[in-house]
Amino acid sequence: MLRAEGLNLGSRLRAVSFHLEAGLAVAVVGPNGAGKSTLLQALAGLLRVEGRVSWQGRELSRIPFLERGRTLAWLGQESHAEFAFPVREVVAQGRHAWGDDGQGVEAALAALDISYLAQRPITQLSGGERRRVFLARALATGAPLQLWDEPAANLDVRHALEVVKLAQGLAAHGSTLLVTLHDLRTAYRFHRVMVLDQGRLVGFGPPAAVLTPELIRTVFRVEARQGQAMVLELPGE
Amino acid sequence: MKGRTWPAALGLGLLLLVAVVASLALGDFTLRPLEVLRALGGGGDELARTVVWDLRMPRTLVGLAVGGALAASGVAMQAFFRNSLASPGLLGVSAGGALGAVTALALGAGAVSLWTVPAASILGAFLATGAVMLLARRGSSPEHLLLCGVALNAIFGAGTSFLLALNAGQFQVSGQILFWLMGGIENRTWQHVWISLPAIVLCSALLLPLGRALNLLSLGEPSAQSLGVDVGRLRWQLIALSTVLTALATAVGGMVGFVGLVVPHLLRLAFGPDHRRLLPLSMLGGAALVLLCDLPTRFLPGGMRLGVMTALLGGPFLLWMLRRNPC
Repeated sequence: MLRAEGLNLGSRLRAVSFHLEAGLAVAVVGPNGAGKSTLLQALAGLLRVEGRVSWQGRELSRIPFLERGRTLAWLGQESHAEFAFPVREVVAQGRHAWGDDGQGVEAALAALDISYLAQRPITQLSGGERRRVFLARALATGAPLQLWDEPAANLDVRHALEVVKLAQGLAAHGSTLLVTLHDLRTAYRFHRVMVLDQGRLVGFGPPAAVLTPELIRTVFRVEARQGQAMVLELPGE
Repeated sequence: MKGRTWPAALGLGLLLLVAVVASLALGDFTLRPLEVLRALGGGGDELARTVVWDLRMPRTLVGLAVGGALAASGVAMQAFFRNSLASPGLLGVSAGGALGAVTALALGAGAVSLWTVPAASILGAFLATGAVMLLARRGSSPEHLLLCGVALNAIFGAGTSFLLALNAGQFQVSGQILFWLMGGIENRTWQHVWISLPAIVLCSALLLPLGRALNLLSLGEPSAQSLGVDVGRLRWQLIALSTVLTALATAVGGMVGFVGLVVPHLLRLAFGPDHRRLLPLSMLGGAALVLLCDLPTRFLPGGMRLGVMTALLGGPFLLWMLRRNPC
């Protein structure tokens, strides 16, 4: 179980507390600057914040680095790469905390549909392809807690849907996922939705219960209206 | 790439061996390779033994240490700053080390102990590294980083020039200061070897096992930490090791530019960016480059010093690199 208690960081996070059972995929939504990325970094132990984050009853900051690398995977928004590492080597970095055993690397490449890029230098890839490489690296860690910051940014429509499917699949196998998103319609495909606004947690629960027209109006300042819209899904879904 | 590591190491090792033999053999009193070997074994005539053991061996070992140290330091800085244009010279660390050494010389501290000047050089290099760290936050843009280096080089260069002008009347002191500015490994003694080589070998040995962590770090600090790297500790290890390596190289060889930039970059292009390979290959390549650049200085007019040679090679290389890969 993931538990956050009283996370505070200036105006970026204000008294954020929640707990989350294993096996759930959570969409973290909110306007720009709401604190989504900050929350994920705080949960990953990459930012010093007030408050406590614990995983399976253990305080995260007390878990040694290598063990933390086996416990959680964090995908940041940045996809820049200066040096021309081949894609397979980048994905294999996900096994650093496991003594570079190489397990699951091929499966992660296949899951993100980038096996054909395995030998290519990462510097030669498009933004969306690089995103998938770093997501594959997070996947290769085999960590039960996955924190993905806008994994669908720069992805084409099919690969964005694949990422959602991947999150659902991982949750079905017992992983816990927090995924920041901008597309509220995609958030409906997650088990839970967490809404942040100006650093505060203003909604947390099943999508239909949380994403009400009132909340969407207050937080995002847009009107939500039920209507007929094109539904996009993967073949066979 | 992996299959090319051993042939590459072998090729660079052979190049280094040729450079070492040439460094021991060539000069005003040129020896044939066989005479060098005989002198190394304690045989041959006494003059050859003196030339090889007392004059050229210290020069060669100091050259190996300087080249290996600067190249290793360049690899570490490039991974740390995630920027293939980072190097001890461009970031002002060498200039800081030289200013430290020059200050010690100008104050006459060079006569106190042979260790004073290297210690001052290390202090100057650490001050420069601290300033770079403060001015250019990690992951900042290449332009920002290089401009910080330009500013620091200008400041330290101004200090060095001031001290040089202040001591213009004193031939010995100004001559020593010019030595730091132009770099060179002639007239090196065994004491210079003992000052630099053991510490450089130790720092290099401490740097080599960090190759894997450098790979992760070079793709982003927070992601490296999330994958299990103790980034805070690694950062300090890199700062300390690369600064000491640069400082020691500067202390015994003066300002030898471009080795830390050119060697890692060229080898990365040829053999890929994996730091587990790049670190040892760069040490070999850097050592070979410095020895090879030192050879012409023995025959050309006095102004063609080691720092001049490496800059003559490195300057055009940097321009080519910027043209190929504009930042």
